[in-house]
Formats: sequence, C-alpha cells, structure tokens
Amino acid sequence: MQLEIHNIAKRYDQNRGLAPTSFNVVKGELIAIVGHNGAGKSTLLKMLASWIVPDGGTVMIDGIDLKNRAAIVRKVGFIPEDPNLFDFFSVEYNLKLFAMLNQIPFLRVEAILDEFNLLPFRKTKVQALSKGLKQRVNIGRALLSDPPLLILDEPTSGLDFEMTKEIYRLLNSMHDAGKTIIFTSHRPEEIKNLATRIMVLHQGSLIFDGLPGAYFQSEIHEKLYA
Amino acid sequence: MMRNILVLLFNDLSIAFKNKTFFLILFIPLFIFVSLNLIDGSKAEADKIKIGLVQDEAYAPKLTSSIKAAGKLMEITWVQHEAEGVRLLKEHKIDGMLSKDEKVPSRLALLVLKRESLHTIAIVQSFSALQKAAEGRDPDWIAAVNSLHEGGIQRQTLPTWILMLVLLIGFIILPAQIAEEKEKKLLLALLQTPIHEVQWLIAKLLLGMILIISAILLLHLLGQFGPVNFLDYMAFIVVGSFCFSAYGVCLGFLCRNQASARTLGVIFYLPHLLPSAMSDVSEKLTAIAPFLPSYQLYQPLQAILLEDGKLANMSFDWIYLFLLGLLMFYLSYLLMKKRWLM
Repeated sequence: MQLEIHNIAKRYDQNRGLAPTSFNVVKGELIAIVGHNGAGKSTLLKMLASWIVPDGGTVMIDGIDLKNRAAIVRKVGFIPEDPNLFDFFSVEYNLKLFAMLNQIPFLRVEAILDEFNLLPFRKTKVQALSKGLKQRVNIGRALLSDPPLLILDEPTSGLDFEMTKEIYRLLNSMHDAGKTIIFTSHRPEEIKNLATRIMVLHQGSLIFDGLPGAYFQSEIHEKLYA
Repeated sequence: MMRNILVLLFNDLSIAFKNKTFFLILFIPLFIFVSLNLIDGSKAEADKIKIGLVQDEAYAPKLTSSIKAAGKLMEITWVQHEAEGVRLLKEHKIDGMLSKDEKVPSRLALLVLKRESLHTIAIVQSFSALQKAAEGRDPDWIAAVNSLHEGGIQRQTLPTWILMLVLLIGFIILPAQIAEEKEKKLLLALLQTPIHEVQWLIAKLLLGMILIISAILLLHLLGQFGPVNFLDYMAFIVVGSFCFSAYGVCLGFLCRNQASARTLGVIFYLPHLLPSAMSDVSEKLTAIAPFLPSYQLYQPLQAILLEDGKLANMSFDWIYLFLLGLLMFYLSYLLMKKRWLM
C-alpha cells in the first residue's frame, strides 16, 4: 500500500471543505478525483501536499506520516493548477534553484530540460512563457527529486488542445514509468482516457470510488454533468 | 543547514535586484544626502545674520550704527514696507525684521519665521550682545550656549534618517515581499523541498538585515561621518535590523497579499516613526515614545552618534530589541507552521 488515508478532514465553514475521508492507494494507480467546484478536491490534494494542515486524521505515504514533512517532500510531487514559479527568472534558474534545495545534481536539471522539450526555453524568463510551457516547467520541477507519488490539481485547466495532448503524453509516460498519479479534472474525456480509478467528491464527502467503467455507467456521472 | 540558508538568501537578494528593491534602498540615502547638502549650503550663507529694517521706520541711531559696526555678524537689508520684509523673510532672504512693536510703540519687535528655532535664539543673543556693548553694560551672565547634541544638521538628523530606513525596510518592504511569495504560492513551492521553515525565516531575516545595513552604510559613506564608538554603534545597528526585520517578517505572515501587507505596513510604520523621531520637540511625545520599540533603537542611536554614548549604559535597550526580535521570529515560525493565510 503506497498511500493510506484515514479520516482526513478540513472544514473552512459549514458548507465548504472536506468531511472525514478514508481510502487507500496502491502503487501505480492513476486516480482521477472528480466533483463540482467547492466539492473538496483541491483541499484533499493540498493536504496531501502539505499545503494545508488537516483538522484531523492520518496520512501515511510509503509508511511515513505526513507530519514528517522533510521526509514526505521526497515522496510527493505536487503540481498546482496555476504554475508557481519565480517569474523574474529563467526556466533554468528555477529548476537549478529547486535542484540545489533538493540537493540534486545539475545533471538531473539537464535531463528534465531534455525530457520535457524545454531546452530551447532554458534561458527564457518564466514570465514570457505560455501557460502550457509554464505547466511543463512546473511538472519538470516536481519530478526533479523523482518522487513516486505525483499529485496534479487540474493539470490541463486553461490549456489549448495541443498543450493538453502534451500533458496527457507526459502523464501517460510517468504512469508507464511506475509512478502513482492522483489528479483532479472537470473533463470527462480526460478522465476516460487517463484514469484507472475514479473518486467522486460531493459537498466535501466521498460518494463514489471505483473503476472508470462503473463510474461512466452510474447515475453519479450523469448527475454530475447534467 | 547553512547551505540552504545561503541558497535562499541568494534567491531573495536576486529578487530584490530584479524587482528594484535594492535600488530603492540605495536611492533613499542618496536623496537624503542631497537634500541635507542643500540645507547646509543655505546655512553657510546664513552665518551672517541678515536683518531687515523698514525705510520709513525711525530707528534709534545707536541701533543702526551698532549693527553696521558689527559687519562680520550682521547685515542690514533695507525694505520699503513691512509687506516686503515679510516676503523676503518667507523667501529666506533675510533672517528677521525689526519693526515698531504694536503694544509698546517706543520699542521694537523682531519678526522671525519660527520663534522656537535655534536660529532665532542666535539672533536674539547677537542683539543682546550688541545692546550691552553699545550701552557699556556688563556682559551677559551666560557667556555661551553649548549643545548636548554636537554636529551640524546632517549629523543631528542622522538618527531620524536611520530610524526611517530601518522602519521602511522592516514594515513596508519586507512584509510586501513575504506577502508576494505567499500570494504567488512561491513559499509553498519552496516548502515542497526538504528545507526547514527556520531556514527560510533566517534567510528572510538576513535579507532584511543586509538591506538595512547597506542603506545605513551608504548614508554614512555619503555624509562622511562615523561614530566615535564604532563597535557600540554597530551592535545597535545589527540588533535593530534584526528586531525590525523579524517584526516585518511577522507582519508579512499576517497578510494574504501585497496590498494588505502595504496597508498594514503603513499602519505600523507611522506610529513607530513619528513619536520617536519627534520626541525631542514634544514633552507628551517624549512620555509616549519609550513605550514603542522604535524608541529603544532611536534613543541609543542618538546617544551614540550625538553624545558619544556607550553600549554599557544602554544594555536594557539592546536586550529589549533582541528579545523582541526573538519573539517576532517565534511568532512567524508558528504562523508558518500553521500555513497561516497561505
């Protein structure tokens, strides 16, 4: 078992947040988390990435408690919806900064630049890049330390068709490389093409957890996209 | 640990260069220096007191002849009427004007810009000395007026400028930079690496201290004035920059974005600056100012720079600033651990 979540919860006010939720994730799964805006998807992901401190519950990743942040950060790579990079600086600077803080040799930066087709943009300031390219840099940065678990919050939001296809290709190649991936999405075709398991959150509660086939035949899917 | 702090500090300094913060820090001392130099220029010319006399006024011959005799001290400027004298006074072309006193017409009244200024005291003193010499009376009981605070206006206002720089960086620049990192989720990105929260906080403190010390150093280099007790002075600059950098980091954590950080910064900046900087001219402010941390920096700086004071006599202020800095650092750490407003 790679990820064990037991009664994790976060409440912002009476109608928002995440009710106590439990589930397990096995290594190599590609999980799509689906739900309306405010259903608690991003809250769940941000808690797993240590961006938000949960009100209660426990999370174990590869047997390590989420509270042990220094150890957990090497296990989890989080890619938020909006790329959070140092805009003033180049792609290379951003990757090298995080490589230094992760104590990773710069050779890995070169490999990431090559793997993500970022070599032509290495000296370009991040602020001059399109959102799709920024998202590629963001994913590359998350993969610097080669974490076994990747968490992506709406990775294709606001991207054009070509960039969306590029992100799908990256996700598939990372999944093929044996990584466990959890992502949120509003796009049914994205969920259908990528996910090996689907979880549905509604008003902060987990109301469905199963295979894509079962989900697309269920009433939940119809209600969600009615 | 040190490696991560240095990497973060280098990144912070690079941001400070890119967003022009560093240039702002260097521009302020330059602006102060130029302004003070302009003040000094007019003061040198004002060494000779320029007195305006109204042409139609019937002055005692003894008075005009005494003023003319004291040519090295005073200079007469004849004006056609009082309105012209007032205009010249406002334009700083004369220092004072003698005209008939409305209450006692047989005597004269001296019109000046500010009654409480040191320059007015000097004019009155000079007239008193002239009158006594003309009447052949004994000299004044007081032979000289010695100031506790030595030096020209540049040196006398130095503690105020230093306090202004420290508070500007501590309360306005640092909180805005921290709020920006929070707003753009850059801090959370950095916390996705194995760095410890304390390392990030130390890097931010060092950034604040480097900015403050650079600005103060430039102010000293431009003005070419150094303190007599250099080590004592540096001890206060270092602890002051530590305290107000920690204060600023803490304020940054209380804000969700840059706009609120700037507002909160100004709310803290003015009440810390004005009572301390103006405590010399108001009894009430002198009573209030000691309750502010800024006064615990301002007062020792004033003592060291203007009265050759020593650290040994101001250990309470030093410890106070250090402990306050530690408290603010700890509060920032707690807020960071809770991911407050991130």
